[in-house]
Amino acid sequence: MPKWAMVIDLDKCTGCGACIAACKLENNIAIVAPAEAQNGRVMFWLDIISSYEGEYPAVKVNRIPKPCFHCDDPPCIKVCPVGATYKNEEGLVGQIYHRCIGCRYCMAACPYTSKVFNWEKPRWLDDTYSCFNPDVSLRMVGVVEKCSFCAHRLIKIKENAAQEKRAIRDGEYIPACMENCPADAIYFGDIDNKESVVHNLAHNFRAYRIMEDLGVEPKVYYLSKKF
Amino acid sequence: MEITRRDFIKLLGGISSTIALNGCTLDDVFEIPEKFINRIKSGPGIEKWKNTICGLCPGGCGIRVRLIDDIPVYVKGNPTYPVNQGGMCPLGLNALHHLYHPDRIKGPIKRIGNPGSNKWEAISWDETLKFIADNLVKLRNEGKSHQVAFLGYEERGLMHQHIKRFLRSYGSPNYFQFSPNQNDTIPYLLVQGNSKVPSYDFLNAKLILSFGYNFLEGGYSPIYYTKLYSHHRETQTIYIQIEPRMSLTGSNANKWIPIRPGTYGALALGIAYVLIREELYNKEFVKKYTFGFDDWTDFNGIKHLGFKNLVLGNYYPERVTEITGIPSSTILEIARDFGNTQPSIAIGGNGAIDNTNGTFSMMAIHSLNALIGNFEKNGGIFSIDDPSFSKLPEIYEDLIAKNGNKQERIDKSQDEKFFLSTFSIESFTNNILSDKPYPLSMLFIYNGNPLFESLNHSEVTKALQKIPLIISFDSIRNETSEYAHLILPDHTFLETWDEVSNVPSVGFTHVGIQQPVIDPLYDTKQVGDVLINLAKRIGGMVAESFPFEKYEDFLKNSLKGIYESGKGAITSEGVKGLWLEYLHQRGWHIGRYNSFEEFWDQLLENGGWWNPIKKEKTLDKFFSTTSGKFEFYSTRLKNQIENLVEKSRGPKFSQNMELILNKLNITARGDSIFLPHHEPVPYNQDLPLHLVTFNVLTNPSGRAAHLPLMQEMFGYMVRQYWDSWIEINTKTASELGISDNSWVWVESSTSSIKVRAKLSPAISPNVVAIPFGLGHTSYGRYARNHGINPYSIMRNTYDCINGRSALEGTKVKISKAV
Amino acid sequence: MRKYIKFIISIILILLFTFMAIPFAEDKIVQPINFNHKVHLENAGLNCTDCHVNVEKNARAIIPSIEICKNCHSENPISNSPNEKDLIKYIVENKEIPWNQIYRVPDHVYFSHRRHVAIGEQNCSKCHGDMADKTTPVTHQEIPITMNNCLDCHRQQKVTNDCLACHR
Repeated sequence: MPKWAMVIDLDKCTGCGACIAACKLENNIAIVAPAEAQNGRVMFWLDIISSYEGEYPAVKVNRIPKPCFHCDDPPCIKVCPVGATYKNEEGLVGQIYHRCIGCRYCMAACPYTSKVFNWEKPRWLDDTYSCFNPDVSLRMVGVVEKCSFCAHRLIKIKENAAQEKRAIRDGEYIPACMENCPADAIYFGDIDNKESVVHNLAHNFRAYRIMEDLGVEPKVYYLSKKF
Repeated sequence: MEITRRDFIKLLGGISSTIALNGCTLDDVFEIPEKFINRIKSGPGIEKWKNTICGLCPGGCGIRVRLIDDIPVYVKGNPTYPVNQGGMCPLGLNALHHLYHPDRIKGPIKRIGNPGSNKWEAISWDETLKFIADNLVKLRNEGKSHQVAFLGYEERGLMHQHIKRFLRSYGSPNYFQFSPNQNDTIPYLLVQGNSKVPSYDFLNAKLILSFGYNFLEGGYSPIYYTKLYSHHRETQTIYIQIEPRMSLTGSNANKWIPIRPGTYGALALGIAYVLIREELYNKEFVKKYTFGFDDWTDFNGIKHLGFKNLVLGNYYPERVTEITGIPSSTILEIARDFGNTQPSIAIGGNGAIDNTNGTFSMMAIHSLNALIGNFEKNGGIFSIDDPSFSKLPEIYEDLIAKNGNKQERIDKSQDEKFFLSTFSIESFTNNILSDKPYPLSMLFIYNGNPLFESLNHSEVTKALQKIPLIISFDSIRNETSEYAHLILPDHTFLETWDEVSNVPSVGFTHVGIQQPVIDPLYDTKQVGDVLINLAKRIGGMVAESFPFEKYEDFLKNSLKGIYESGKGAITSEGVKGLWLEYLHQRGWHIGRYNSFEEFWDQLLENGGWWNPIKKEKTLDKFFSTTSGKFEFYSTRLKNQIENLVEKSRGPKFSQNMELILNKLNITARGDSIFLPHHEPVPYNQDLPLHLVTFNVLTNPSGRAAHLPLMQEMFGYMVRQYWDSWIEINTKTASELGISDNSWVWVESSTSSIKVRAKLSPAISPNVVAIPFGLGHTSYGRYARNHGINPYSIMRNTYDCINGRSALEGTKVKISKAV
Repeated sequence: MRKYIKFIISIILILLFTFMAIPFAEDKIVQPINFNHKVHLENAGLNCTDCHVNVEKNARAIIPSIEICKNCHSENPISNSPNEKDLIKYIVENKEIPWNQIYRVPDHVYFSHRRHVAIGEQNCSKCHGDMADKTTPVTHQEIPITMNNCLDCHRQQKVTNDCLACHR
């Protein structure tokens, strides 16, 4: 059974934001009205956090793209009263919108604030069929949503592989953010496969995970010389 | 770098609930034709991919459009296209939002109310084209063909030639382009003798010294440079970025060095001082291939000052520190790094060129490359070959056309300014308003938005009101086209045929094909086809100059030349640079196609053609100056200025010279005028802070403000959505009692605006920065009434040599808004 | 009195929900042509995939377009059936037949015919019933397309029950 993981090379990442846009478009994420957005209700499954380090003029900016970390021991699933969020055998943390009751416990439990809530009915699209990516359903008001590692792509890739009676190749299943990253800073694959790029990078001396001391075992690794 | 949960929680915070809803709800964000919705609902769901070139900015990235049952649903980068190699910027990904935009103009329309009154009436193509052709014929018959002007944006290649062809055969010298990159090659023209944008071999360079050039976020092709940057993180290339506000490029550079705006030239010369003093420059190159380095004597026996002595005498580190605000130790350090880490490249742009002294600053920056002899070699500056397109059909000019073409350009300044510029918005508007040298009868506007992007906003407005007939080709009405009388909507780039070749500064010859991925959604026509149609209606030699029925045929014809040359290869997997070179050396024909049809089909399938192998050039061919060398002492500039002096026919040469120099805002005297030097910017010294603007990747030049996602992502770095902000240094702000996210007034000598403050340690304390791109009053429902346009408070000043707007030439004061 | 009102309201509500839960009233759906599957399968000797061409290749099987009808039928009738006359009208006008789609999974479910038929080797009749018996067009779901029915079958066949295998 593969275990999907992501590696983000912060030394290569420029912070251009292409991953955010690719993610929003791939997953039909609602564009939030201006006032709502300013009130912190903007919906990015993948966000970039910036922080400054040092004093002028010796300032450094850290920009970290932050998807859902698909933790191996996810705190969000423990608090979900209805089992709408769960971890599957391949390590993907799923969010089943039709089961979600919108209690937002999982949002509070997530140490990385990776989940977003649909405060408003996504007005911009009448129904799924008029949105852009027909492979992803549209969420309704009052449910929590989050990065899925583009799991809808995996369904099709599995199907293709099954038809051709073969295993999924390394690099065949990639999320939209990685696909469009102009700096080639995102890597994705099966971390249990010792041949995979992701496995090797995750064991690189530059690799680390954010807030590892929490013990939630996130499956998004960062590479940076700064550590 | 310690990240805590607090950092994450900060992301969730909103600013306040006091913001009024800007009257924008997001109902019907997009307009997708009913038939598409039905097809998507019940079609077989068959997936196809088509390659084309992105048209949202002039960067020329290859894109791959996903079609489900022939309906575009998603766009990604084309991994085999060499410019972007699969990478995309946030803007390019929005291609479909552009296609399905609800405010697209659905057919030709005619304005029936006042500008901005939103009263338009649909008309038929035939009626419109007949009306325009009749007017064009009438003007020609009256001998006023030169009173027709065409204002383009950044079209290059075939489209550029096509428009030129139309105006040449019709008889008007007035084809202009008004874009942020216009006239930026003039400094190169002065020192190198040609106005081609040089290509930089970033790939092999070891150090890149950038003077204000934000190439990861703006410039010619940000994604091309992002790819190179990411490669450089493996090869340990050093990036040094000099700019007052840390841009995306600055934040990714190894070193960010804040500088006082308008003093880039002085810093470059300060670096030159160290290079010369410490003998870090390439003596052999300087001796062989440059002119004006040492003092020299001309034919008349007059002694002239050389670059070396100018620099040694004036730009010693202490003085440069005083001008630029950069400590002399830093100057020494940069200069030594630059001289010792070979090959290195010095590039300039944005702030360095967007000021009243831009030409001289860029000359100074470019002379650093000459000092280290950085031309036509690995890791240096080179020029690439043009693609071998077939020769275009001949342009025929009848008598009327010949007469018209001989007329003076309508943007020619009436007071000697901007003598080298290819277009100046300042003199263009002034001349229209004063009817000098002649009135303008008809104006075509293609793609540009001069009203939004100019500093002389109110004059442009008046000029637009004065022109009797304005025809725009916009897909979405913008500030400028609100003043048009007719709008003939163009296809979007996803519905049209075109080519995007040799994007400036990209390091190899390439041609990308823009092909329709979908039939036009609305009753629109391609501009190339409209011009052919008009030419046919005018008839005579104008029609003869257009031997093809469609623009597409012109395109196909041009590409025959590339097929016949047998060079290069169609972009595809496995055809990488080294492999191509190997085949080339063996003398193998790389193409795997037996006929042009086959070549064409493969071209459309793969999206483009490229040839990374460039002809070896000798350096004397590289420099096309009169001396055949790199000219520190620009003879061209000297000749041009002396020409102006002679033409002004005053009593005494020296007095006239003084007059002209004053008009051109040049304070230097003697030989230094023609040498790279620091020209102080005439700032309003009463105001304390410099105002600089910057462009963000999500909305270059405000041209993506119609896209809702780009509006939402406008300030994702500072968490400001759909709105502008002003960046203020944390210390400056605390002195002024301004806190993060509070409202401030920004006041210049001309006017003031209110905007939200964002505090940052990554900006000089004496500088504030506002992003450009918002503050639209038109341009569709998502652009209107969001944020502010910083140009509205900026002084109307220009570089008097090349006519570029001085975007960093304004000082302001800020105060807390209550 | 209050108790009664509450009771009545809840009864009404329950009744309302019950009605809503009943699938579309079957006989209200009228197909544009009285299509006879039996004739096509038995007499003409066709297979399902001859007309529903995408079943093994694609996620969607689709209702055949008029082009597929034209493979056999033309303006000259090949039978005496009055239904064929109806069809010929559409052929002459070159219009698509406005069939009413009966089987549809909700938007948030990924259902692939290829996955079930070509890879999983399931028989069409498993969900659609035996069409060889049908002399009238389809007006209701033979086996209701519900998550319970999906899961029952998945359990029986011992294939994945992971939410993310279908939910999207």
